[in-house]
Amino acid sequence: MKRIGIIIALLFAIQWPAAAQDWDPGGALKKLSAKASKAIDVTLDQSMLQFAGAFLDSKDPDQAQAKKIISDMKGIYVHSFEFEKAGEYSEDDVAPLRAPLKEPLWSRIVNVRSKHEGQNVEVYFKKEDGKFTGLVVIATEPTELTFVDIIGPINPDDFRRLGGQFGIPKVEIDQDPASKKGETK
Amino acid sequence: MNRLEDELKRALEPVEPPAGFAERVLARVARAEDEKPVRSRRWLGLFGFGVAGVGGLRWAAACALCVVLAASGVIYERDMQRRRGEEAKDQVMLALRITGSKLQIAEQSVKELDSTSQPRQ
Amino acid sequence: MTTAAAAPATHKLDFEDLVREHQRMVFSIGYHFLHNAAAAEEVAQDVFLELFKRLGTLESPEHVTHWLRRVACHRCIDYSRRNKNAASEVSWDQLPEPVQPAGHSDLGNSDPMMSKRLQQMVAALPQKMRMVVILRYQQEAGLEEIASTMGIPLNTVKSTLHRAHAMLRAKMEQTVGKEWGEVNA
Repeated sequence: MKRIGIIIALLFAIQWPAAAQDWDPGGALKKLSAKASKAIDVTLDQSMLQFAGAFLDSKDPDQAQAKKIISDMKGIYVHSFEFEKAGEYSEDDVAPLRAPLKEPLWSRIVNVRSKHEGQNVEVYFKKEDGKFTGLVVIATEPTELTFVDIIGPINPDDFRRLGGQFGIPKVEIDQDPASKKGETK
Repeated sequence: MNRLEDELKRALEPVEPPAGFAERVLARVARAEDEKPVRSRRWLGLFGFGVAGVGGLRWAAACALCVVLAASGVIYERDMQRRRGEEAKDQVMLALRITGSKLQIAEQSVKELDSTSQPRQ
Repeated sequence: MTTAAAAPATHKLDFEDLVREHQRMVFSIGYHFLHNAAAAEEVAQDVFLELFKRLGTLESPEHVTHWLRRVACHRCIDYSRRNKNAASEVSWDQLPEPVQPAGHSDLGNSDPMMSKRLQQMVAALPQKMRMVVILRYQQEAGLEEIASTMGIPLNTVKSTLHRAHAMLRAKMEQTVGKEWGEVNA
């Protein structure tokens, strides 16, 4: 947590040159969808987010937090795929999702591998004019792949607090450090 | 500080609710389930009540029908709007839950790496 | 990844079990927060009614416990705000003096009067502080869990708890005598 805090603080301190990028990973996602046995697709542009915001109940703690998080957002796109068995998708399927997430506009702040069910999670932030304007999460497991694309402006602190809310259960990570591989930026 | 904490634990020990609490909750839930919105049938009064003659009756019936159709359209549209809004809301919550769960995995993994990379004392 | 909706019959059976399993927890939060059994029952009933409506969206026993605790918290605070002038609301500055001062002779064992006194003091704390103390010492929640339950930052929980200790200790010294402070030194 401390390390993520330091990384986020560093990101605030560094000035990235502004650049506009068009990015449509649609082709890669269609291929994954064709291979998957189950798929969840959430596509919410700015108008839908504003529409949904009107129906979020401020008296419900989860919904109030959600309302706060999405208040200025321009889009949330979540695609989650489940596969029958391991090996049904490959690194070649994932690489196109990652390809546009390059510096100087994008910065990968987390890339962790966990022996727990072979999970790998990458977190990318986009920064323009000193503000965070994008978040991408790519999470892979042998039989599951999740791609989250959030178009900001966003507050990284709001997302740090997401874990533990909305009924997200605690994740047990293997306690054996010798079996773990991982890197963080 | 230990004594204060011990005393606080003692003072704030959980207490049983009054007898019959669970039954009262279940009864209240059952009442809430039974309460259905009662549709007003007042519009039926337009047909024949206080309207003179057959012609008047037909005219009243036609007017009532128009009002009902218009109102139905409005109600339908409002219902659809509300349903779409609820669906959009559910989608937002789903998206944030999925995002949160993946970020939590990343955070937990970083914490784990942090703790294993601390020098042993 | 998808949420399965329970069949109605199973839903109702589970709900009754959940009420019996969690009634003590939910009622207790309200009882010590509102310092009034009738108000605590009213709030607890509201919480379970809400649970009934949301049951289909809750996925695990841990989620239910976390959800109940959080909703109970927020409902108690809302109730307290709406009923600021209720007789059960105790003012910190106007805490009644004890009928008989606690003796110095036996500081090792707990005096039943002390529990009553502490209950009154806790009930007189500012609302958020009160809830932090209840979650910590009644629910034995960790600091992060308290932060998540109440939707406040972890540092706020820490500083709030620290201030609560200072206030309660000072009040206890006033009531019991300086020996309280000495034992805790």
